[in-house]
Amino acid sequence: MSAAAAPQPALSTGPGPIAWAGIFAATCLLLVALNHILWLVIPALLALILTYALDPPVRRLMYAGVGREGAAALATSAFLVVLMVLTLILIAWAGARAEDWQAGVERYLRGGAVLLERTLAALEERWPGLARAGLAAGVTTWINEYANTFVERQVQPLAVSILAWLPAALLGPFFAFFFLRDGRRFHGFLVRAVPNAYFEKTLDLLHEMHSTGRSYFTGLMQLTVLDTLALGLGLWLLGLPGAWLLGLIAAVLAWVPYVGSIAGCFLVVLVAATDFPDTPTMAYWSIILFILVRLLDDFVFLPATVGKHLNLHPLVSVLMLFVGGAVAGVPGLALVLPLLGVATVVGTALSEIITDRRLRARHVYAQRLRADQAAADLG
Amino acid sequence: MLGFLRRTEGGQLEDLRALELFADLSVGELKIVQGLLHDRQYLAGEVVFDEGEQGYALYIVRTGRVLICRQGRPESAIAQVGPGNFFGELALLDSAPRTAQARALEPCQLAVFFGSDFLALLETEAKLSNKILLRFARHLGARLRSTVAGQSAEQHL
Repeated sequence: MSAAAAPQPALSTGPGPIAWAGIFAATCLLLVALNHILWLVIPALLALILTYALDPPVRRLMYAGVGREGAAALATSAFLVVLMVLTLILIAWAGARAEDWQAGVERYLRGGAVLLERTLAALEERWPGLARAGLAAGVTTWINEYANTFVERQVQPLAVSILAWLPAALLGPFFAFFFLRDGRRFHGFLVRAVPNAYFEKTLDLLHEMHSTGRSYFTGLMQLTVLDTLALGLGLWLLGLPGAWLLGLIAAVLAWVPYVGSIAGCFLVVLVAATDFPDTPTMAYWSIILFILVRLLDDFVFLPATVGKHLNLHPLVSVLMLFVGGAVAGVPGLALVLPLLGVATVVGTALSEIITDRRLRARHVYAQRLRADQAAADLG
Repeated sequence: MLGFLRRTEGGQLEDLRALELFADLSVGELKIVQGLLHDRQYLAGEVVFDEGEQGYALYIVRTGRVLICRQGRPESAIAQVGPGNFFGELALLDSAPRTAQARALEPCQLAVFFGSDFLALLETEAKLSNKILLRFARHLGARLRSTVAGQSAEQHL
């Protein structure tokens, strides 16, 4: 073969419009499918996070001479023991305060209702048209009706669904043990099925998928810490009691985009309205603080943590959040970005592999060599 | 089905230690490295990688021989790599394009060390990866010396 005729591997140009359409379609289909098996998706996600957290100690143990199986069993058992101890402490602590909490929830809800009534009354005073429309009276009636049936309509189903989900959540550590023990073997098993020509690209694809998932959850944890610090500091400066705890709860709620942020803001406003009943400006300042932290989140924290790891265009992220919410509700909002990240990695790699004629030619040649070898003694 | 669940750990650690790159590793370290390697089989004439292709992995020859040559020109041999030795090592340092083509000269069994696995090892297992890096640096030094010696011999001629 002459030097001029020597084939060169194709240069990567990134996915084209068809590949991108496939990526978006695959993300939507995955959302629909996963929304139907949430009982399995949630423990699998918990297991994944746990696997990322326990992987370093497992490696340490292996380095010290323990086999992978023993290391996985030790690390998972240690986690379960710590979890059980913490759960027992929490149950004992919560049991002693259950009545206080019930009274506290009712008190804070009442405080929120009073703030709303006062705000509406002030609005009616300023704009008489609102008073003629009976805005305050209508909203107050609706709130009273809602509050009367709140326990039956919201609290009981929530308690029942938590009890129903608990066994599924317990699958998390169980899955994590097998991920830790057999994850590498499963990876090898998958890779062995790939022909030699596509082998290196497949290794890279699996690595990218793994690191995208890992980076997303790492980014989410970093974002939670940053949100907790920003909200906690702001609420502490405002003088709200339990500022750092409220900041942490609001930051965890923000794992579900938009809906979670609104829920966190609502919680803080309730606390502000109840603990400072004569200072409604405290509740308004809390809302302003949430809006500021939201802006900080969208333009500074999110691109620097989760967005940086997923490498998604901000416009695509926002549009896909709406699509995720429309396709699969609240779970869709929470799952759409990591799914899109993984689908982008897979779609990009697959389009590169499929459109690389040189790799296909090498694969066909290798198949021919294997066929010749198999038929060598057949004459 | 589910063959990956079968245990494969056995007397392979000593085979691994016989490879140049892992000669200094302890048993615990070899176990970690063994979990990271992928075994591949190539037939004579099969291309392992092409010149100009993005490199993701280092290849260690367990059995057989591999020819390193210019793209599509097996007659312009740069080197032949035999059992215990490795090639494509620059992929461990960066993902730059391969500088030559690699073809199996005879049926080969290769162990593949993925570059990202090695980089992860650098972050988590400093002692282990330093031992590999030292071997790696010695190998590169030897290659540099032989290249320089070759060039000065050519100039002398």
